[in-house]
Amino acid sequence: MRENPDLRVRVLRTPEGATQRHQLYVQWLNARVGDPDVLQLDVVWTPEFAAAGWILPLDRFKPAVGDFFPATIEANTWANELYGLPWFVDVGLLYRRTDLVPREPSSLDDMVALARAAQSRPGGPRYGIVWQGARYEGLVTTFIEYLGAFGGRILDEQGRVVVDSPEAVRALTFMRKTLYDDGIAPLDVLTWHEEEGRFAFQNGNAAFMRNWPYPYAAMNDTSQSRVAGKFTVGPMPAAPGGRSTAALGGNQLAINAYTKSPEAAYRLIAYLTAPEQMLERAAKVGQYPSRRALFDDGRLSTALATPVEQARRAIESATPRPVTPIYTELSEILQIELHRALVRQAEPEAALRSAALRINTLVDRTGMRKLMSKTAP
Amino acid sequence: MKSESRLGWALVAPAVGVIALIALFPLGWTVWESLHQHDLRMPWLGQSFIGLENFAEIMRDPRFWGSLGHTGFFTVLSISLELVLGLFLALAMNRAFRGRGAVRAAVLVPWAIPTVVAALLWRFMFESEAGIVNAVLLDLGIIERAIVWFIHTTTSWVPVILADVWKTTPFVALLLLAGLQNIDKSLYEAASMDGAGAWWQLTHITIPLLKHAILVTLIFRTLDAFRVFDLIYVLTGGGPGTSTEPVALYAFNALLQNLRFGYGSAVSVVIFAITFGLAILYIKGLGVSLQGDER
Repeated sequence: MRENPDLRVRVLRTPEGATQRHQLYVQWLNARVGDPDVLQLDVVWTPEFAAAGWILPLDRFKPAVGDFFPATIEANTWANELYGLPWFVDVGLLYRRTDLVPREPSSLDDMVALARAAQSRPGGPRYGIVWQGARYEGLVTTFIEYLGAFGGRILDEQGRVVVDSPEAVRALTFMRKTLYDDGIAPLDVLTWHEEEGRFAFQNGNAAFMRNWPYPYAAMNDTSQSRVAGKFTVGPMPAAPGGRSTAALGGNQLAINAYTKSPEAAYRLIAYLTAPEQMLERAAKVGQYPSRRALFDDGRLSTALATPVEQARRAIESATPRPVTPIYTELSEILQIELHRALVRQAEPEAALRSAALRINTLVDRTGMRKLMSKTAP
Repeated sequence: MKSESRLGWALVAPAVGVIALIALFPLGWTVWESLHQHDLRMPWLGQSFIGLENFAEIMRDPRFWGSLGHTGFFTVLSISLELVLGLFLALAMNRAFRGRGAVRAAVLVPWAIPTVVAALLWRFMFESEAGIVNAVLLDLGIIERAIVWFIHTTTSWVPVILADVWKTTPFVALLLLAGLQNIDKSLYEAASMDGAGAWWQLTHITIPLLKHAILVTLIFRTLDAFRVFDLIYVLTGGGPGTSTEPVALYAFNALLQNLRFGYGSAVSVVIFAITFGLAILYIKGLGVSLQGDER
């Protein structure tokens, strides 16, 4: 490294898939392996690894957290200590066909109306909106956005389970309505991940799409996309009583608790999360910087394929998924119950009540109640 | 006599040792794990002995009972279809005709395809509106709108059962064919002479004499079907919701997704107990029928 000539970095390849990578990390850390010194973590893993004692708190290095988007710092904080620095941000975006939908939707209901209007145009697209609805993590991220739009949450500030609140029932009912009553979302989305939705949108079959930033550049390439130059992105709209919400994704860098050289590890993290590095990532792989100030930097708009202002608005509406060490299992419960409601095996209210019940059981079994009350301010 | 039995024990000792090492030791360890709280992802819980608490949790979990029901349903339905179709195939292959060897080899092709590959093939055929199954059904006018197969419980089972029947019928047919070839041809000649029809011959000669082959097939297939994993993992992932999830997938989930070693081991012990029980039941059945024949 040019700026730290005494540091030599060795890159270890890990599996691409988040689940496989997580599994590998857990096995390494259970065996107290100190290598690699720096771990790349998905945004929902930090509390789990922190509670397990597998990563070191970063507070003693005094990172300037004020430079980052607050939601990304919140997601990396467990028990009032910071455990990871956001490396890049991923955020849920609403893609819109500018040739079919002339303006940004002002509310969720407006989005439905605009989608239907687009569908009924002569030669209009078959689908009004496509999203991630298969039974996997993507479904939870989609749900989080509707949930926030209606003013609901999964856990409240005290860590209580509130996923069966009236707001949550309204959000899930709304999602179901777009499938069965409004006819804007095809039933196929209940088996779709990110890529199936992208294909539909890119082939001109959908007016709106909920997705991450990654397909933006490719979809503007006329050789593989029919919608090049005919779409833009924005944040998901809200419903009355809620606020526009985007699911927060992205990767963090944290220090392996079993490392022999925490100081060197932190220097590497500091280097990788420096503004220059983030600009380079934006240009090379299109990943959004987690530093707020960069969005005022003229260099970012040339580096990034997505319009910078839209990206910033989406990140500012971003909400972390529940910041808890038991997130993975909590999410599994939600995936099942949400899917059951959306395929009409259960009514939204019953499904969410069952989810709340099972999450509460999980909280009890894992001793989370005690952990959470201990960390409550 | 005494020294002879001692020699006997000495001679089987290595074999017993190997079995103990590769079968009994892991089994014992799994049982031991199943009595502990051991969540790899939650080291703050510690690793304490909790007796039968994991088993109590299994009994309380409706998802487990659901998965047990799905496994039973899958086992009974797929094996029934495979036995009937396999018998037809075996009877056809048992006749002397030109190219019989080639047909016998060709029939085995589905069985030779790795399950994951076969499952993916079936998934592509049923997936999406453009899938071949929807296209054919629409063309024939059997359905008016494309079916989204994997979002309804009933329609999700269709590709699962079809894929298993398609893949495993050849294996069943071969086992039954071996049984058929042991039946003395003169029995049929005598029956024909007495004016017995084909159906009477099938129900009074073929099936009774095929009983052993059928029982052996049932043992193999039940134990296999009860542990079904890869086919459903690829085809439906256990969904929609968890309405096609078999016990093996439930165990996989607890053990390898959630890394709950204690609980997952308890689930494995339960599955082991059930398959072991089934095996004993069948072997007893087979034993009784063997003795019946000797008399």
